[in-house]
Amino acid sequence: MDLAPNEEQQAILDAVESLLGQRAGAARAIELDRLGEADADLQAELDQSGFLDIALDDEMGFLEAVLVVEAISQAGGLVTAGASALVAPGVAGESLPGPVALMQAGDKGPVRYAAQARTLLVDAGDEAFRVEIEPGAFEVVTSNVMFPLGRAVGELPDGDSLGAGSGALLRNWWRVALAAEMVGAMQAALDVTVEFVTGRRQFGRAIGSFQAVQHRLATCAVLVEGSRWLVREAAFRGAPPEAAATAAGHAAAAAGRLFEETQQLTGAMGYTREHDLHVWSMRLQALRLELGGAGEHRRAAARARWLDGGSGA
Amino acid sequence: MEFSWLEADLTFRRELIDFLQRTLPEEWDEMAKDGPGGDAQATYSREFCAALAEHGWLTQHWPKEYGGKDATPWRHAIVGEEMWKVGEPRGAQYMNVNWVGPTIMKYGTEEQKALHLPLISSGNVLWCQGFSEPEAGSDLVALRTLALREGDHYVVNGSKIWTSYVNHADYCFLVARSDPESKRHQGITVLLLPMDLDGIEVREIPSVVGERYFHEVFFTDVRVPVSCRLGPENAGWDVVTYSLAYERVGAARYARAVLTLDALAEHARERGLLEDPTVLERLSEAREVCEMARLLTYRVIDLRAKDSSPTADTNVARVAGTMAERAVSELALAVFGTDALVYGNFGESYFRMAMTAGVATGTTEVNLNLVASRFLGLPRE
Ligand SMILES: Cc1cc2nc3c(=O)[nH]c(=O)nc-3n(C[C@H](O)[C@H](O)[C@H](O)COP(=O)(O)OP(=O)(O)OC[C@H]3O[C@@H](n4cnc5c(N)ncnc54)[C@H](O)[C@@H]3O)c2cc1C
Repeated sequence: MDLAPNEEQQAILDAVESLLGQRAGAARAIELDRLGEADADLQAELDQSGFLDIALDDEMGFLEAVLVVEAISQAGGLVTAGASALVAPGVAGESLPGPVALMQAGDKGPVRYAAQARTLLVDAGDEAFRVEIEPGAFEVVTSNVMFPLGRAVGELPDGDSLGAGSGALLRNWWRVALAAEMVGAMQAALDVTVEFVTGRRQFGRAIGSFQAVQHRLATCAVLVEGSRWLVREAAFRGAPPEAAATAAGHAAAAAGRLFEETQQLTGAMGYTREHDLHVWSMRLQALRLELGGAGEHRRAAARARWLDGGSGA
Repeated sequence: MEFSWLEADLTFRRELIDFLQRTLPEEWDEMAKDGPGGDAQATYSREFCAALAEHGWLTQHWPKEYGGKDATPWRHAIVGEEMWKVGEPRGAQYMNVNWVGPTIMKYGTEEQKALHLPLISSGNVLWCQGFSEPEAGSDLVALRTLALREGDHYVVNGSKIWTSYVNHADYCFLVARSDPESKRHQGITVLLLPMDLDGIEVREIPSVVGERYFHEVFFTDVRVPVSCRLGPENAGWDVVTYSLAYERVGAARYARAVLTLDALAEHARERGLLEDPTVLERLSEAREVCEMARLLTYRVIDLRAKDSSPTADTNVARVAGTMAERAVSELALAVFGTDALVYGNFGESYFRMAMTAGVATGTTEVNLNLVASRFLGLPRE
């Protein structure tokens, strides 16, 4: 048991944060959103630098991949961090041509990054399928959630099965990926809100000095810390169904709380495109609904622990 | 960063669980129904802790020079978890080994160390914590109990309240004001006060939590030898701060909460509620919070294991611990319905013991204040 990054982990974090410091950030996210694009350059750069392959590295693993995904999300990077760095290695055992989108078979709803993705991983229940996306297979969906969304235009090809039982594997890693992305986005939303309430003065004092404000943000901090350690442990343990769904359920519920509180405490400014909050708060709305949202994660965790023979842990 | 236990620690946990199964008497559950302060449990703790001490497990985390084994905080945390899971058979003595002993090691005279540390590490002494007063709750430095120097004695007058375990205690870790003109953090002195001195009266305060849960202690002209003073006169606040820092890894309440949750799931199954998706979701939600509390407590233990000074991570963990207790309590009521109104019902017992989590050892609001200022760096004005 050691809950501080070791030297190698710290080195990876420093390296990815330095790259993200130059290439990601709120301003870039806002610009890309205006263009309706994902960040192809950043995706390529992260890929070439090996940050998206860390899970399969001999010296590294899924915990290190989670640390990287948290960091990318926190920096607002518009790349398929969780799907590329966690889900693809977790279910296919190899990295896949990115961007990588994730969807549930038959889902008619919008799918994050589908219109930009080269590879699609489909949860079809027992099996997962890998599909190469043809140009034009997905149309762009208009949205304010700060992720590019796409919807299938016609029938999608079946693709290649990843084997019996791969569906569950896909869902487990998908949950870990979602939780890790939510942790990064929640942290950033909290940070910009703390900054806002520290600088903003009303009634002659910083609004962040009012206890009613402080307690709400402090509670948010507890929930973010909890989500962070839950997902890290789940990844370290290889995404067992119960731990993965526990991390995702908790993060999704926390994300709802963070959305509400950070939007509330930043007043009218928080709704604008000139303030950075929306980059993360709006993404939280997308992340917390994916794969059925907190309710579905929670039912899955409970089934794994108390119904499916109880050996889900 | 990694989340695995050392093989030796896993083995130790198994041995400890075996020991508990062999050692706890058949009527243990009945004995434990009023918590560590109940009469049966307090009495039994002397026998139990002595047995634990014989195995070298009571104070293994203490330094070798004081009879410990220099075991890691993780090892001691395993003891805490397994003890809480079964209802804390160490009774009040968990306080001795967690913070009373270590504070005496730091501030005690040779004479005090020679007297108290062997008593504590042999498992047959009960302490209580005389901090809170009627006018000094969250704001501990508002304390008024006086300990005025008269020659080679302090004369103590005043009262302490909410003092757990005092009815069985041999000693009280008493915080008092030795300079009557002083304010706030100044003029405070700590006394290791023997409870058999003249002038001490203990009254139970009946409560809905359990029998013998709360007490008020009145001190009338109690003459305490100066040799009982721990640390310097009038500068006892440092001693108090040090002791509270050791208290930072509190009781492993989450460990019991998780077990309770599994038991509640079984009750839900028997009542045909486990098919209900809402029940499943709520079970899971409560488990998330318990797991969160466990990991955030581990974070504090990890910092302790690395000898870092206390950080606001402690307060984060405390808030999470209370959330866990509350979530499980709510579920206990949902599963048992009105049966949870009956004294001694499984759900009732749980919510009764859990209901004090947000107040005992520092309230949730005080912890949130500290998370806001020290963890988030929010402004005071
Ligand atoms: C089960 C149990 C066992 C205990 N055992 C012991 C013991 O052995 N020894 C001992 O010395 N004490 C003991 N206590 C006392 C405990 O430490 C106090 O109850 C606690 O510190 C709170 O003090 P109080 O009860 O006076 O509440 P108060 O301080 O009066 O607080 C009442 C409410 O006001 C809130 N509040 C207070 N200040 C602030 C603030 N600045 N900002 C926002 N909200 C605030 C509190 O959070 C709380 O919700 C025990 C208490 C319990 C419940």
